Amino acid sequence: MRQQFKINRLATTGLMGPMVDKHWEELRTAKERGEKVAWCSGVPFIFAYAMDMKCHFMAGYSAYCAGRKAAEQILEIAENTGELPDTCSYHRLHMGMAEAVKNGIPVKEDVILPIPDLMIAGRVCPEMSHYAEALYRKFGIEVVGIELMTPYQESDYSFLEPFVERQFKEVLIPKMEEVCGKPFNYDRMREILTVLKKVATIRNECLEYFKKVPSPWTLWDYGVSLAPVIYLMGKPETVPYYEKLKAELEDRAKNNISAIFPEEKYRVFWDGWLPWGFLGQFARKITSYGANPISGRYPWEMFPRPDLIDPEGDPVRTFVKALYTGTMLGNNMAKPGLSLMDKIVPEYNIDGIIFFTAKSCRIWKGQMTMLNQMERRYGIPGITLEADMADGKMFSEAQIDTRLNAFFEVLEARKEKRRWI
Amino acid sequence: MEKVLSRFAAVSTDPYTALTTWKQDTGRKIIGCFPMRIPEEIIHASGMLPVVMWRGNEAVTLGHSYVHNFNCGLTRSFIDDVMKEKLNFMDGMIFYRSCLQAEEIPSTIELNAPPSHFLYLYLPPLYPGIPFRDFLIQELKRMKQRLEEWSGQEITNESLNNSIEIYNKNRSLLKRIYELRKKRPGTIKAREMLAIVHSSMLMDKEEHNSLLESLLPELEGRKELTGDKIRVVLSGGLCQTPHTAILDLIEETGMVVVDDDIYTGSRYFANDVTLGDNPLESLADRYMKKTPPDPTMGDWNTLWTDYMVDKVKENSAKGMVSLLIKYCPPHLCYYPDIRRRFDKEGIPEVLLEVEHEIVSLEQVRTRLQAFIEVIKGGA
Repeated sequence: MRQQFKINRLATTGLMGPMVDKHWEELRTAKERGEKVAWCSGVPFIFAYAMDMKCHFMAGYSAYCAGRKAAEQILEIAENTGELPDTCSYHRLHMGMAEAVKNGIPVKEDVILPIPDLMIAGRVCPEMSHYAEALYRKFGIEVVGIELMTPYQESDYSFLEPFVERQFKEVLIPKMEEVCGKPFNYDRMREILTVLKKVATIRNECLEYFKKVPSPWTLWDYGVSLAPVIYLMGKPETVPYYEKLKAELEDRAKNNISAIFPEEKYRVFWDGWLPWGFLGQFARKITSYGANPISGRYPWEMFPRPDLIDPEGDPVRTFVKALYTGTMLGNNMAKPGLSLMDKIVPEYNIDGIIFFTAKSCRIWKGQMTMLNQMERRYGIPGITLEADMADGKMFSEAQIDTRLNAFFEVLEARKEKRRWI
Repeated sequence: MEKVLSRFAAVSTDPYTALTTWKQDTGRKIIGCFPMRIPEEIIHASGMLPVVMWRGNEAVTLGHSYVHNFNCGLTRSFIDDVMKEKLNFMDGMIFYRSCLQAEEIPSTIELNAPPSHFLYLYLPPLYPGIPFRDFLIQELKRMKQRLEEWSGQEITNESLNNSIEIYNKNRSLLKRIYELRKKRPGTIKAREMLAIVHSSMLMDKEEHNSLLESLLPELEGRKELTGDKIRVVLSGGLCQTPHTAILDLIEETGMVVVDDDIYTGSRYFANDVTLGDNPLESLADRYMKKTPPDPTMGDWNTLWTDYMVDKVKENSAKGMVSLLIKYCPPHLCYYPDIRRRFDKEGIPEVLLEVEHEIVSLEQVRTRLQAFIEVIKGGA
């Protein structure tokens, strides 16, 4: 009989749900209070926050929607109104939501978004602009576009940063001032960056605990805790959250408490998006093998270098530096991604890699190359799991079970080669 | 005439042989450019041959160890060709991001089978504002500098203007052939037109110009197609060649293509470059032209649907055939607007979703036959 494993849940992560719910509720009800609303893809939402606008974050909202099990309903609305099923599921979620709100189609209340006064298309990927362009064409919602080109390699940061800084200063900020009817609030941006720096610094201390064998927490726990270093940016309550989390991890580490009960059998690198719509299913499946995903490219891209943030200086420039030199925007490209894996695989004693492939999103580049390279460089096996971030039609349980079974059989066969035992 | 058309068809269907032979004959370097917006003129001015990367002529096999099978045909096929060492004659490759899948290719190639010369460019999309133009010019300067290193040849304003003139001439000759087809539909078959434009992307432009000059008068003498053919416009195929078998089917089922809005068609030769004292800036200005509207760019004000509807009306076409490359996000995300607009205008439009590997031509035939019924029903 196969050994039974379960996740030893952290108490602190239970505090995140209400914080996230509050954020989306404030956005949902913003118009009732006469507040301006923006929708934003990529990270420029900080500029809306600095202007006291309520602002959504495309990927964060989509994750919330999928996590709330509302995606299926909204995707159906999108497809019924002409959207094609091979497009990015986040694109379709937004098209469906706008259609629902504009035409009074009933959807789950807690995921409703107000139609924005402005869409900020921060083009980390082109699809992050396509949805805004499509909504402009369909409903005439105003758009401002910012090209946040993903750096191909580290040596390109130096000439990309001045271009992005100019776009923020010469395109985005004037548009924000026009929409809000007031000068841009640089001081508020500094305050947000101050909180972000503090939170991301404590978060980095928390990440160090992933190196411990057995790890006191899982990537699923960290996934739940991402909002403070992204769209809850600048909220004062995010600081005590991470302080509590750190204290709990410290306590677990001191007492050698593993996040996987009764033991952590395999240490896994999870590449690609976290599967927001199916987080529970994946967590249960992977835990059932005694495996703990303890690292990944995606979770490592949320302001990994808070030391570069200088809130006292030019807040726009320091923000851009955090994005590029700070390696926030590069990990999804193959070359910077491989550099990250070269660092993480040995440091975190990784046994194997799961490449989560979203069929409607190709933002995680080089997965097949990485799979080959990691096997060659470290003798670490990998598999690809094909599904989606949100679209249940692309989730095939049998395919995933078969591949996971084969993957963990390989890990078991190679367990003598582990460095960490 | 048939000899020239056969030559174009041979280059288009087997660029591997054509380019290997060209390289052996001339001893010059070949630089592959990812479609659609890399200014080839700068490469030409360096004495090297720019060629636009193409979708290969066989099914993807080895490539699937490097790229997911739900990427588009061009990206999968190009990587497959590289891994099969079919493109070893390319001395260099230049890439930029037109879509997320395009972003997958460069690192896959650089990390697994790097060519001698490699450049990743950041070509900004068409957002308004000075920063975009300035950054574009900065990138073109970086490209020029790199090409000078690769070729060992300085690119002067004079040499660049000379290349621009040669490319402008090619564009004007291709436009003349398109005008001829508009006036006398059926004079040139759709697959012939594809070969004429596609070969321009793969041949030395001066040679292509000379062949076009000899072809034009002969085409003018060709007999016009007679009979009751339905006039249609093609759209789509944003960065890759459509299947000639599908073009043939369009004609076999009773339609005639009078104009197109495809990359290996009118989109390739749209807009000349203005000759001036600063040719890099002139190239940047061509890049930033907003027509033909391009859904890979972030320009939401210039409507692609306006352009398509105008094209249909200007050509007195009865409908439009959309060639949507499977897994092409810019086209997929735009398509609902196209559908709605054509419905609103009362213009018949049919969507053909096409893959690198054709699954069933008979399904395509059935769709086209149904489309004709719709057109005839509305006539």
